[in-house]
Amino acid sequence: MSADLERTPRNLLVSERSSFLDPKNRISSQLVQLHFNYKVCVLLPECSSAPSHLDSALNTFSSFYLIRNLPLYELLDTHFLETVRHGGVSGLSYRTRLDEDNCVALMPNGRLSLSLDKDSFELLGVEGKPSRFNHRAKSRFVVCVDLTDSSMAPGGRGHQRLVTGLTSRLPLKTDFLMSLPAGGGASVQALLSRYDWSEHRPEVISCSLTDLLCPSPLTSDPSSLTSDPSSPLTSDPHRLLEWLGAVHAAVSCENSSSSFLSSLVCPEPNKKLSHALSVSVCGLLSHQDVQKLIQEIRVYLSVSPPGPASWASVTLHGFVDSPVSWGGEHGVLRGGDNFLSLTMFPDQSYLLHLAGGAQDTCPP
Amino acid sequence: MVRVKSRYLLCEVNVSDRSRLLLLDDRAVAATVKAAVARIHGDYGAALCSIRFSVKYLNAHTGIVFLRFPKKCYRLLWSALPFITCIETRGQKISCFLNCLHVGGTMRTCQKFLIRYNTQQLHRMLPKCKNEEEKQQVQKAILNCSLTGRNKEAFEEESESEEDEEE
Amino acid sequence: MRRADKKDEPAVYQRVVLKNASPYHYLKVCLVVEDDSTRLSAVELKQFIITGLNSLYGEVGAALTFDLLKYDEDTLTALLRVYSRGLVKLWSSLTLLGSYQNQACAFRVLQVSPYLLALTGNSRELQLD
Repeated sequence: MSADLERTPRNLLVSERSSFLDPKNRISSQLVQLHFNYKVCVLLPECSSAPSHLDSALNTFSSFYLIRNLPLYELLDTHFLETVRHGGVSGLSYRTRLDEDNCVALMPNGRLSLSLDKDSFELLGVEGKPSRFNHRAKSRFVVCVDLTDSSMAPGGRGHQRLVTGLTSRLPLKTDFLMSLPAGGGASVQALLSRYDWSEHRPEVISCSLTDLLCPSPLTSDPSSLTSDPSSPLTSDPHRLLEWLGAVHAAVSCENSSSSFLSSLVCPEPNKKLSHALSVSVCGLLSHQDVQKLIQEIRVYLSVSPPGPASWASVTLHGFVDSPVSWGGEHGVLRGGDNFLSLTMFPDQSYLLHLAGGAQDTCPP
Repeated sequence: MVRVKSRYLLCEVNVSDRSRLLLLDDRAVAATVKAAVARIHGDYGAALCSIRFSVKYLNAHTGIVFLRFPKKCYRLLWSALPFITCIETRGQKISCFLNCLHVGGTMRTCQKFLIRYNTQQLHRMLPKCKNEEEKQQVQKAILNCSLTGRNKEAFEEESESEEDEEE
Repeated sequence: MRRADKKDEPAVYQRVVLKNASPYHYLKVCLVVEDDSTRLSAVELKQFIITGLNSLYGEVGAALTFDLLKYDEDTLTALLRVYSRGLVKLWSSLTLLGSYQNQACAFRVLQVSPYLLALTGNSRELQLD
């Protein structure tokens, strides 16, 4: 009995070290497999204000739309399907909880994924699979349709079946977040005009930190992190992630071990950084923008003089309630966290940490 | 066949004044154990202790107690026993501590152990005897228990034949 | 607590998969008290959680080490860190804490994660109105 009390749900952490120069690096495909990006946090040490090209990359994240009470059959509309076929349209139901409600996700490659409870699934009457994370009783089902497939062309059998299902049997309505490829705004105007919608810009918050305690390998010899596997931060990535989390959550690391409230400390040995800049962008972010940002940070690192702290960290959080993540099905058992953290160095090498929760497939 | 598994703890109540042992009764011991578990392991422990816990046997002369715990959580409940410092009975406090001698899966294995243990104790008493009469008594007692394999104390028989010592 | 997959190529590329290796779990909790004007200091909140542990898991439970990483007195929201093996004990005792100074109260566990980083980006907090 006491053993049960000590067990926690499964969690997975993949840690990779590689280099952008390595022809086999898979970083861009790994980034894409997170599917829906909610927030990107950048940490730049020894930097009090972002250089202009980086600043513009942070402020030019493309805007996204929120459509309220969108009936789902609208996603199968002829004009909309045309837009989807060109690729780059992604969407996610907003304020639906994956563990309670029906959730919808439209991926940029044109696949529509519906995560439905048992009643809705049976009403819809479209082929689907029971969720991988069902326990004994099958209570959740996943319907996955490829909107670019020929059978899903307007008038096709699959299309008709899904449309009748969504109009007559299961009239699902949801608030829908949608991001469009550059210049795609015009093609969905007809759809938007029928509903209550609003356009949102990703929110950028930048925060300048002073006197930040930083683990020494990062300040003195960052290359040791990627070349030496026995370095404490590399061999135990949880320490690095905890420190990064403490920085982003503005948790103080200056505690003594005898403190009553908290004994969280920065990994030893550590050193004080006089400045650091933390920027976060929040919203439904497109992969192109994230890739562009990472590219700009690589440029920034390669031109900046090799100072005492020449590295940068990017953390990319996925949507908790997205039905897909890491290239597979995603579930919320307890946290539903899916995120990646990328620490980059001037010699183009990087450390990548991919995390998945209890109901996730192993990150790629 | 499925049976509900238990663990039997054979404990010895150690007191400074042996005559006070006679005041003990099983209800007092059970209440003390429950109180200790509730203090050390809280409501969770008290709840575990409320199912299938009982004092199966108490010998007020030798201070031997058999405690039955559910097998699932006996380690947790066991860990509270060292915190017992006194047993309150009939309005009197007997300061004591419990010394666990044996953990068994059935009453039978515990009984066997107890016989062996008592024989050992008699052997240890033998050289310490002060006069001939005492010596003879002890010798007789040793013979008694090795001949019949029965402890001279009246033993509450539990008909559990299978041995179950695995963890 | 084991490394499931290890691949080391002569190049710098290395991939390690860690399963259930996180030493800590982090909780974001919010205390809701009947009387909205009730204010607790960080020390009082930690003491209150310890009393909860003490009543459910006794003195052994009260000895469980956990850290109050961050606390906002206005919203009564706190970040807790606990060793993974103590997560269930802490979480269950938070659930069963029902009264603070004779007022009904409840802890809302907003997010639980093995990574502190995950608590900084919870998409359920996205407000667009």
